[in-house]
Amino acid sequence: MLGRYQILSEEEQRIVHDQSVQVLGEVGVKLLSDRALKILGSNGATIDTESQVARIPVEMVEQALETAPKSFTLGGRTPEFDVPLPSPTSGYVLDLGGVFTRDLRTGERRYATLQDNEDAVRVFEQMQHASVVWPHSIAEDTSRASALRATMSTLMNTSMHVQDELEEPADVPFFIETLAAVLGSEDAVRKRKLFSVVYCTLAPLVHEGQMCDAYLDAIEFEVPILIFPMPAAGSTGPGSLFSNVVLGNAEALSSLVLFQMARPGTPLIFGDASGSTEFSSGGFLEGSPEMVLQTGARGEMARFYGLPNTQAGCLTDAKEPGPQAVMEKMLTTLPLVLGGVDMVQGPGALETSGVLCLEQIVVDDEIAGLCERMRAGVDISESKDYSSDIRSVGPGGHFLMQDTTLEACRSDEFFLPQLSDRNTFERWTELGKPDIYGKARERVEEILAAPLNNPLPDETVGNLQEILRRAQVELQ
Amino acid sequence: MSVDAIFQSILERKRSDIAPLVQAEIDAGTEISVILNDGLIGAMDVVGRQFGDGLLFVPELLVAAETMKTGLEVLRPKLVGSEITNRGTVVIGTVQGDLHDIGKNLVSMMVEGAGFAVVDLGVDVAPERFLEAAREHRPQVVGLSALLTTSMPAMRRCIELFEDAEIDVKIIVGGAPVNQEYADEIGADGYGSDAPGAVRLIKRLVTET
Repeated sequence: MLGRYQILSEEEQRIVHDQSVQVLGEVGVKLLSDRALKILGSNGATIDTESQVARIPVEMVEQALETAPKSFTLGGRTPEFDVPLPSPTSGYVLDLGGVFTRDLRTGERRYATLQDNEDAVRVFEQMQHASVVWPHSIAEDTSRASALRATMSTLMNTSMHVQDELEEPADVPFFIETLAAVLGSEDAVRKRKLFSVVYCTLAPLVHEGQMCDAYLDAIEFEVPILIFPMPAAGSTGPGSLFSNVVLGNAEALSSLVLFQMARPGTPLIFGDASGSTEFSSGGFLEGSPEMVLQTGARGEMARFYGLPNTQAGCLTDAKEPGPQAVMEKMLTTLPLVLGGVDMVQGPGALETSGVLCLEQIVVDDEIAGLCERMRAGVDISESKDYSSDIRSVGPGGHFLMQDTTLEACRSDEFFLPQLSDRNTFERWTELGKPDIYGKARERVEEILAAPLNNPLPDETVGNLQEILRRAQVELQ
Repeated sequence: MSVDAIFQSILERKRSDIAPLVQAEIDAGTEISVILNDGLIGAMDVVGRQFGDGLLFVPELLVAAETMKTGLEVLRPKLVGSEITNRGTVVIGTVQGDLHDIGKNLVSMMVEGAGFAVVDLGVDVAPERFLEAAREHRPQVVGLSALLTTSMPAMRRCIELFEDAEIDVKIIVGGAPVNQEYADEIGADGYGSDAPGAVRLIKRLVTET
């Protein structure tokens, strides 16, 4: 059974690797962290202290690739939500990195609130293909404890694995304390890996200082890092997909080297969120074919290195739910799923990941289901060989009453949509001409009306509130 | 006719052709103001209009502007003493706590391309540094950029500082987490939703002042 999609041949993957290594050795990366420069310097990189550039030799890349774990599990709050990596099917990461929400009641685009975050994670948890949640950016709370508060709200409203960004080292103790309060001990934080962090390099070839230092602290608690470069071909990256893939791969390898040198064995997810450029304005585009060709290619690079991966996909630049959103999200999901990526990061978002839309979470789960069916392909194993039915039915007749058909009609062999309409025109009219977003909205309302699953004990919630109070005072 | 060649080289973005063309025109004794106005500035006016009408892409605009600038450098020694003015001055930077600069750089380049003098303060710029630059360069507009929600308060602090200092300048904001509503709330004079939008806004504000 083939039915898979490959963007780069093995030879082309080798070329991307060789060029990435050349970039690291000749151009290097700029690190706005003295601590990171010191780590790289003491492990063999050439450091230019004035420009803060580290040139990384190929031997360091090879060493890092050896120590990086090839498999690990992103823990949920309960084992049923564990996400083992690599994964045989593609999971999904709810991407709430944006600051706006499309209001469920009014349809208005407005700043997101903590309530929106709670609603979104509760809806997402009920989705069949959901794996990991990235909390919403809450613009109403611009305090330094804002991300901690959003992560706590997420932990209180879902049992799923949570990922987020940490801004600076001072954040780390509060996050670890939060996780320990939820899981029972600091040891459990290391073992369960309930929380991971996202590391976006600044294209081209720059590492932030404070975030980098925070992550150097976090890895001491075995917090996994999603490495997530996002160069835009034609603006923050070169104007060809080939060279932009090389640039993103070089940025990812430099991050891999840094964190493996700092702590060998640190669990890393080799991801990518490259985009293309809207040349009329210079803006970032992610609902484009070029986006998914690049993140798909970077997923192949992750497998080339034998590393777990999350790739940006299921994305759109559409401003509203509707045809453009569905078209672009399908386009930017299917190649990743057919290519076999471990996780697709993007569902739930509109407008270049700037806006959360609750109905879109449900629609995107349907897209995920369709894509999963495509990946399963045509199973020609013995268990699906029903040629004896052809013999027994013979010419004419039908297969509707065969035992095999009876079993198959509710099996994975045939995808059953939750949203798409397959009725006759008359029946569809009788039903009030339902559309997928209307049905998605009903599902959202149903989930939000149901009681919260597996709430945290009151005592734990009290502990979290106490940690947050301290963080709001101490993080300035 | 060669002034027309200068004009055309900007429209066609021939950045390596323009310097000898301008030099040849100076040597031929053409009036400096004709080279400047009919050649360089005239061409950039057309380029600006074409971009505004959506006929040009950002890279085409930026390289045309660079071509014009290359020509202007050749002309500059001859302009000493004569009146050469910019359309205005803009101070721009990414606010304190934020290191993201692609949006700010794009606005900076495009504003410069539109004929303004730009003072780019870089990233992680403290409100006091904006104020200092405003006192030194006397811009018509100060542009504040941010990508992170956590750096949005730095925009507000900056505007408050300018209000306290009673500096007469328009302050505009932009970046992914910002919208018109937020701009209004913190008392900004305008919001640019993207780089071309910022350029239009700056042109409008400068015309008003």
